[in-house]
Amino acid sequence: MLDARTKKKAFSHLVEIVGEEHVQEQETDLILNAHDAWPLSAAKIRAGELLPRADLLVFPKTTEEVSKILVVANDLAIPIVPVGGGAGSCGGTVPIYGGIQLDLKRMTRIYPIDHESMTVRVQAGVVGIDLEEYLNRQGYISGHTPTSLRASCVGGFLATRSGGSMSSLYGKIEDLTLGLQVVLPDGSIVDTKAVPRHSVGPDLKQLFIGSEGTLGVITEATLRVFPTPEERRFRSYTFPDVTSGLKAIRLVFRAGINPSIARLYDPEDAAMSFSMHFEFDEGHCILLLAFDGDHEKVSWEENRSHQICTECGGIDQGPGPSKRWWNHRYDMYYPTRLTTSGYAIGDTIDIVATYDRLEQVYRSMKEAMEQYASVVMSHFSHMYQNGGSVYMIFFMAESDAESSWATYKKIWDVAIEACLREGGTMSHQHGVGLSRSTFTESELGSAFRVLVDMKKALDPKGIMNPGKLGLGVRE
Amino acid sequence: MIAKDFADQLRMCASCPKMCRHVCPTYFAWRSDSPTPHGRALLIHYELVGTRCLDERGIEVLYQCLECSQCLTWCKPEVDIAEIVETRRREIVKQSMRPSALDDMAKVVETHHNPYGEPHDTRNNWLNPTRADGQRLFYFTGCTAAYREKDIALSALHTLENAGFSVVISSEEYCCGSPLIRTGDEEAGLRLAQHNADMINSMDCDEVVVTCPGCLRVLSTDYPKYGIELNKPVRHISEILAENLHNLGTTDFDGGITYHDPCHLGRHSGIYDQPRSVIEHVSRGKLVEMERSRENAMCCGNGAGLRTLFPEHARKIGSERVEQAKRTGAKYLVTACPFCKNMLASQSDDEMEVMDLTEFIEKSRDVKSD
Repeated sequence: MLDARTKKKAFSHLVEIVGEEHVQEQETDLILNAHDAWPLSAAKIRAGELLPRADLLVFPKTTEEVSKILVVANDLAIPIVPVGGGAGSCGGTVPIYGGIQLDLKRMTRIYPIDHESMTVRVQAGVVGIDLEEYLNRQGYISGHTPTSLRASCVGGFLATRSGGSMSSLYGKIEDLTLGLQVVLPDGSIVDTKAVPRHSVGPDLKQLFIGSEGTLGVITEATLRVFPTPEERRFRSYTFPDVTSGLKAIRLVFRAGINPSIARLYDPEDAAMSFSMHFEFDEGHCILLLAFDGDHEKVSWEENRSHQICTECGGIDQGPGPSKRWWNHRYDMYYPTRLTTSGYAIGDTIDIVATYDRLEQVYRSMKEAMEQYASVVMSHFSHMYQNGGSVYMIFFMAESDAESSWATYKKIWDVAIEACLREGGTMSHQHGVGLSRSTFTESELGSAFRVLVDMKKALDPKGIMNPGKLGLGVRE
Repeated sequence: MIAKDFADQLRMCASCPKMCRHVCPTYFAWRSDSPTPHGRALLIHYELVGTRCLDERGIEVLYQCLECSQCLTWCKPEVDIAEIVETRRREIVKQSMRPSALDDMAKVVETHHNPYGEPHDTRNNWLNPTRADGQRLFYFTGCTAAYREKDIALSALHTLENAGFSVVISSEEYCCGSPLIRTGDEEAGLRLAQHNADMINSMDCDEVVVTCPGCLRVLSTDYPKYGIELNKPVRHISEILAENLHNLGTTDFDGGITYHDPCHLGRHSGIYDQPRSVIEHVSRGKLVEMERSRENAMCCGNGAGLRTLFPEHARKIGSERVEQAKRTGAKYLVTACPFCKNMLASQSDDEMEVMDLTEFIEKSRDVKSD
C-alpha cells in the first residue's frame, strides 16, 4: 500500500489528468472494483473476506490520458493494475500490492467498420457483447464469443490471449487482431500497423497479447470481422469413450473441415450437461459440432463429418444436443445455490496439448485432481488441426474456509504438475493471473528468461501489474 | 439489518461474474463497478455477514439505482436486486441516513402533496370533464401529468370522453407516494396512501384510471401490500383503450412509431401488449420495435430518485434511450408514462418527436381522423 504522502501526490496528479469525477479513493469504491471473476475470489467474498484493493482507482477516457497516468505512476514507482470488464477467471486484475487500478471501462469507442478490409478498430473498454451487437447490426460477427461475452472487454480479451467458443473456425484473439495500440510504462504510445501479415521482424503486437498488463496497457486494437454466416448447422454424436470421440475430431480436421464448434464431453460432463434433456447410453461421451457458411459448404462439411464420426463408432444424435448447448451456452456461468453454498468452489483449468499427448494429459490430470476434488468432469473444446484444449472442471468443498482454500490450491498444484509432466500447456485461453503465476517458469522453461528480460527492458521499475505472469513477485 | 431471507440471493449475486451488468443503465452512466447490481449486492452482503458496515458512499451507491429491474430479466437465479435495494433503503430512512436531497423532497411532498413544490389547489382544477354519460372512471391525474406534462392529462381526458367514458377528477388527490416509497420512505408514503385510499373509496365511480405507471404500481401493488385496500380496480389507460379500439380512430402517420416500455408498466406490472395494440391500431400497423424492448427495455433514467440526486447521469441514460429509438428509423417515440415522456423529450431533438400514448392519440386526431 502507498504511504500517505505518495498517495496524496498521485491523487492530485490523477485529478489533473482525468478530472475529479474519474478518480476514486473511497474505500467503498476500491472494494467494489477490486475483484475479477476468479472463483477463489468469489468464494472468499461469500465467506465475508475482503480482497486486496488498490489505493486509487482511475478511469481514463483516452489513450493520451492513459499515457499521462503511466508517467505519474512510473515517476512515483506506483504499481499499476489495468482492468477492463473484471471478468477474468485467474485473479489477473486483483491489485495484490495496492497502487493504482487503471480502469478502462470509459474507453468505449468503436470506430466505423472498414467494409473493404473487413476490420474494425475499437477501444479497450468496449464490452464484448456491445461490439458483437454493433457488428451484427451491420451484417458481421466478431467470431469471438467467450462465455464471458456480456462482462468482458476487448482489452481483457487481448491481455489474457482469450478464445471464444468458435475459435476452431475463427481463431483466438491473437488470430483476430491485426493492429494494436499499447502504452508503455514510461508513457510512450506504441502503435503496431494493422496489416494481415508482415515480415518486418518479429510480430511485436504478439508481445503484448497475453501480457496481462505486465508490459504495458493495451488501449486500442484493429480486429478482423466476418460476414454473418448464411447458415449455422448443428449436429451431435455419442461415442462409447473419449478415445473414439477424440479420433473423430482429429480426422474431421484432417479432412480439411474447420467446424465452428467442436466439443467432446467426457462421460461425467455429458451426464451432467445433457442427460436431463436427451436419452443416450450411460457412460458415453457427447460430441457437439456446428458448421458455419453457405448452404453448399455446410452441407458438404456436415456430410463428410457424419461419415467420419460414424466410422469412428459415433451414434448420430441429430442437431438437438449441439443446438441446445448453443442456446444455453452462457447459463453455466451463472451462480447457483449449490455452487455458492458454504465454502464450495468450482473452477476450470483450461489446458492445451497436441493430439499425441492430449488424452494422456486429460487422464493424468483427472486422476491427480480426483484425489482432492468432489467432482472432476471435462470437455475437449477449442479443437484445431494439431490438437486442442481440455476444460478440466472441478468442484470441491470443505467445512471451513482455511481447509477449503488449501484444498483448492492443492487441486491446482497437482493438476498443473500433471499437465506439465505429460507435455501439456497450462492455459489455452484464460491466462495466468494469480492462479497459475507460480507455474509460469516451469511452463515456459528455457523461454522464461526471454519474458523476464523483456519485462526488465520495458518496465525497469516493475510497476506493471506486479505478481502476475510469474513476474514482479514481491516479498 | 436487512432480512436474512435475502442472504442466499445476495451471496449468489455477489459472486456472479456480472452477467447482467451490460444492461444496467447506471453502469452505462457511470462506467464503474460501484453502481451495478453486483456492487449493490456486494455492499449489502458484506454488511449482512458482518464484514463491513455501509458508509456514506455505500448509501450513495444504493441510491444510484433506478430499481428498473432490467438486471432481473438477465438473471437466471432470479435475484431481485431492486427489491433488496428498496428494502435496505427503508432501513436507511429509518436510520435518518438517506441523502439530504431526498429529505428535502419528502418535506416538499408533505407540505404541497406533490414533489414539485407546486400549489396543491392548482393540481387539476384546470381539467374540466364534460361528459356525464357512460361508465364512470376516476382519473387519478398523478403529479407529473398535473404539473409538468399537462397535455398528457388533457389528452387522457379527451381520449377517455371520446371513447365513451364519463371522467371524474378530484381536487383531493395527493401524490400517490411512489417517489417516497421507491426511495425508502415507507412512513410518509403510507400517510399519502391512506389519504388517497380514503378519497378513492368514497368516490362514486366504477374504476380508477391512471396515466402514470408509477401511480399504477403503487395503487395496485404497494397499497394492498401495506394493508390499504381500494374498493375499485385500478388500471392503466392503455388497458382500457386496448379494450376500446373500436372507439379510437386510425390515421396515416408520416413515419414509423417506436414504443418505449416504462419500467413500472412493463417489468413491474406486466403490461406490454396493450400500449402496442393501441399504437398498431391507431397508426395502422406502423409500430417498429427497438432492439431492447419489452422485458429487456432500457429504463429512461428517471426512476427511483435518480433524477433528483444525479440529474446529469439520469439525462445520460435518457439520451442513450433516445439514441436506441432513433436506430429504428422511426419518426415518433411513444411511451405510456408522463415521467418517461418528460425525460425522453428533454433528451430528444428535432429528429424524433416524443409523445405519451394519450398525446399520440390526440395527435392522430389532428393529423387526419377517420
